[in-house]
Amino acid sequence: MRISLNWLKRFVKIGVSDQDLIRLIGARLVEVEGVIDETHKYDNIYIVKVESAEKIPDTHLTLCKINVGDKTNLAKVEYEDGLVQVMCGAPNVRAGMFAVWIAPGAVVPASVHEDAPFVIGKRKMLGKYDSYGMLAGADELDFGDDHTGIVEIDPDDAVCGDGLADVYDLRDIILEIENKSLTHRPDCFGMLGFAREVAGILNEKFDYELPHDNLKIGNGVKIEVRDEGICSRYLAMTLTKHGELKKKYLTWTDTILSKSGMRPVDRIVDATNYLMLLTGQPLHAFDYDKFVAVGGGGEPKIVVRLAHEGEKLTLLDGKEVILNGSDIVITSNNVPVALAGAMGGISTAIDENTRNIILEAAVFSLYNLRKTQMVHGIFSEAITRFTKGQPDYQCATVAEDFASLVSDGFRVTGVNESRAHDKKNAAIRIDVEEINSLLGTKYTEKKIAKTLENVGFVVKVKRERLEIEVPAWRTDIHIKEDIIEEIGRLNGYDNIEPTLPRHRTAERNKLWRLESQVRTYLSDFGANEILTYSFVSEKLLRKVGLDNGNSYKIVNSISPELQFVRQTLTPSLLDKAYVNQKLPIDKFAIFEINKVYQKGWGMDDEGVPTERIHLGLVAAERKGVGAAYYRAKHYAERLLRKLNVKADFVPISEKNAMTLPFEPKRAAMMVVNGVSIGVVGEYKNSVRRNFKLEEYLAGFEMDVETLRCVKQEKRVRDKYVVSGRQDVTITTTQDYAVVLKEIENKYPEAEISPVGIYQADGSREKNITFHLEFH
Amino acid sequence: MEELEQLKRELKALNADYAKIRELPAEKRGEFGRDLNAKKMAILEKIREAEEALVDVEVEPLDITAPCGINEPLPEVYPVSQGSRHPLTAELERVTDIYQLMGFDVIESRQLDDEYHMFDALNFPKEHPARDGYDTFRTEEGLIPPAHTSTMQHRVLKMYKDRLARGEEIAVVVPGRVYRNEDVDATHEHTFYQCEGVYVSETCTMGDMLGILREFFEKYYEQKLNIRTQPGYFPFTEPSLEFMIEKPHALGGKKGDFLEMLGCGMIHPNVLKEAGIDPTKYHGFAWGGGIDRLVMLRFGLTDVRYFESGNLNFLREF
Repeated sequence: MRISLNWLKRFVKIGVSDQDLIRLIGARLVEVEGVIDETHKYDNIYIVKVESAEKIPDTHLTLCKINVGDKTNLAKVEYEDGLVQVMCGAPNVRAGMFAVWIAPGAVVPASVHEDAPFVIGKRKMLGKYDSYGMLAGADELDFGDDHTGIVEIDPDDAVCGDGLADVYDLRDIILEIENKSLTHRPDCFGMLGFAREVAGILNEKFDYELPHDNLKIGNGVKIEVRDEGICSRYLAMTLTKHGELKKKYLTWTDTILSKSGMRPVDRIVDATNYLMLLTGQPLHAFDYDKFVAVGGGGEPKIVVRLAHEGEKLTLLDGKEVILNGSDIVITSNNVPVALAGAMGGISTAIDENTRNIILEAAVFSLYNLRKTQMVHGIFSEAITRFTKGQPDYQCATVAEDFASLVSDGFRVTGVNESRAHDKKNAAIRIDVEEINSLLGTKYTEKKIAKTLENVGFVVKVKRERLEIEVPAWRTDIHIKEDIIEEIGRLNGYDNIEPTLPRHRTAERNKLWRLESQVRTYLSDFGANEILTYSFVSEKLLRKVGLDNGNSYKIVNSISPELQFVRQTLTPSLLDKAYVNQKLPIDKFAIFEINKVYQKGWGMDDEGVPTERIHLGLVAAERKGVGAAYYRAKHYAERLLRKLNVKADFVPISEKNAMTLPFEPKRAAMMVVNGVSIGVVGEYKNSVRRNFKLEEYLAGFEMDVETLRCVKQEKRVRDKYVVSGRQDVTITTTQDYAVVLKEIENKYPEAEISPVGIYQADGSREKNITFHLEFH
Repeated sequence: MEELEQLKRELKALNADYAKIRELPAEKRGEFGRDLNAKKMAILEKIREAEEALVDVEVEPLDITAPCGINEPLPEVYPVSQGSRHPLTAELERVTDIYQLMGFDVIESRQLDDEYHMFDALNFPKEHPARDGYDTFRTEEGLIPPAHTSTMQHRVLKMYKDRLARGEEIAVVVPGRVYRNEDVDATHEHTFYQCEGVYVSETCTMGDMLGILREFFEKYYEQKLNIRTQPGYFPFTEPSLEFMIEKPHALGGKKGDFLEMLGCGMIHPNVLKEAGIDPTKYHGFAWGGGIDRLVMLRFGLTDVRYFESGNLNFLREF
């Protein structure tokens, strides 16, 4: 949403600088995303009178002499009898009209924010005519898209030589407001509501009121709202033409529409849009006669109902939408003519021949409109306001405002409504102490009452207790805390003194700490921690032979690459191993600690999927030789030694998502006291090929929670003097672990470490050498 | 090899069975067909396994208990100079360490949760447009990879409410990974990290919240800081604020430059009530902020996509 500060200043007296005002709006009302300074956007642009206009034969050009009033001393301009010569290509240029002249040296306003703003100068045209500056169209002035002619100024509004910016109040600053921060404030989507808040944060009472008569109900079109849940109030005003709407001069309203990000269209549509920007209440105008015709020509009747599934409607922008059962439609005798709250239909659109109007001022269910917005992708200014939950208290007054804006051409013939606004304003009671104890402030009851009254609350004070009546536009205020928020916010949260509450000693989270330790140990071992996405592709799962039926499937994934919640970490690590091998990086060990989910694990006590934290590591070399298995095992053992865990490496006996990628003949399960903590080894050839990885490749995957359970406190032997050393070589056909066990049994006191395993060519037996140290 | 041949014969026989469907009475065809399809899928799966096993069959077994291969040197880990910690997890630890010093327990956030914890328990009205702002992913079951660490707020309140009865306070931070359905570019990731904080006691105030947050950032940036706030809107806090700090010297900050750091607010009474905590007796505050941004500010990074790239040329810088 865009807020013009000049417009704002028409409703509230501002005693601070613009800079302070913007800071206060940011601190106490809403997030200001951007500030557009238009102070100089219309510099050197003047209102002039075209004194003569002489068509140049065989061209579309007109040679004009313009009266620039008292601006007879401009640089880069030559005068002839006090007039300036300018060529104009617009068909509507004529002698006697008041137009807008961009003087030489000025920047075309529409290009001000472009990388290379367009500077107007003196040009020689058709080889002989000097042309100074240009007469501007609405599009060049950034007042819409109209490029059919030059802008015409009402002679009653200005005299020759007036600065355009002075006449139309264009030396302005525009705030770009982050809509999300006003999700709960429908009132602030109208300038009056916004201005009321600004008064509040400046500690001034907002007392701007538009004068209204009580709109009389009678002689209106029949209205039937099928379900009040979708439309709490529908007011329809009929108007009939009694004269031509005033000639289309550039108006101040046009400039407001443009500054607010909308485009001027015609008098009627502009009036509905302007009032929406002013009040937050969207309006829609139907061509009455078309409305009657669409409905079959009989007595007109407005029926508001949910659309039928598959019903079709062509909207104002020419697009046909296929409606669904949650869309709300306005119908003429049951024939859809508008998608309520979103956009009107083309069959009842206002045009230059419109003689009678039905003006709609209504409120629709934000829940239905939210779905409409999503399904049809319509993000109009109207639906943006409705989906914040506009209250229905101002339908009649805004309709009345519309009638007065178009009264030069139309007069009201009838008004009807589905129901009157009859909601009682909410009331809240709160103690001063309740406010101060939540905010940590010492505000007096007087200050609190004033703060609320400034923005339209009615407050009665009874001995430290406030009885508060909430105004109709504050749909967001329901409970005491909402009132506390108002007090804190309007007086400035920044005026609250920061304090520190008491605290105790925190408990240590053992798992979190273990994860941290493991990350540090592994990076100390030259491994690289990586993070990969929690979602993987079906293709990736298939590369390791995993069943995607065991993965939770994302139904609205960004791409097929991110469709399944991962079951284990190994596939993601192998994927990144490929990325790095391609870089190329010769040797690396990458690891990740993260959460994984498998459907097969079912739900936990809370009814949400059981989650496990895994640690995965992959070591890869482009030109490595030998068995990579032992590198991965070494990594696992070094880590486990740090955690004082002694694991046995036993053949894989379980086929599950974790063990599946590994080659059973060259991988092992790591078992501690009968509990499996994970798997280590080389991957199946098929897996390795699927990932296009070089042969030297191995890794492991562990369950971190299990690791925490088996982890032991470290014990140290307190004997450091070595009393003897011995190397022992055993010739054997048995596995290393079996031999090690024998040595351990034989020398229970010794610290045993491996030296090497040697096997001669053609021999069946191998020699295993151990180094023994005695203390 | 023989097994594969056998399986292929079975498949052929099965394919022939499809012809029998026509001979069956119409009402039995469906069941017969489904049965046949299931059998066929099972056999195809076995064939795939058998074919892969064939690729894997020539693999030499090795002694899985040994420290090294035969006639190979004992393996080493790679040099420490090559190792690295991921900047995001390192930062998360830094952040949680400071909060621990300030008396906050650490609970890790879930990565797959339900609508109840993500929205309902946090006072989001059903079907409310406010839910759209979070652009959540969903699974077939309607589960949600959380879009904010606040998904843990209700659990934390329930888990620790006994402390309130003992006259103690609840003080917890929740680090974790969160997800939003957005297209990825230099400044947007669908996967990122947050840290949530929750504090509840009988006497705490908004002043305490501002004090705790300022204290944290002063410890984090190791300097005194000016703070600033602006109103925000979250259904689960009332009042809701955005919290800003004056840009620290270490980040080249000048006076008057403010950085938005996180969203915060006093916990909405409905959220306390839902967790079984009496909102007339206890107050609380909560906050949540992004970790990725802290890392980017710290190192002057401009492209968020590196974090989950796994690219070692990037990661080995840390």
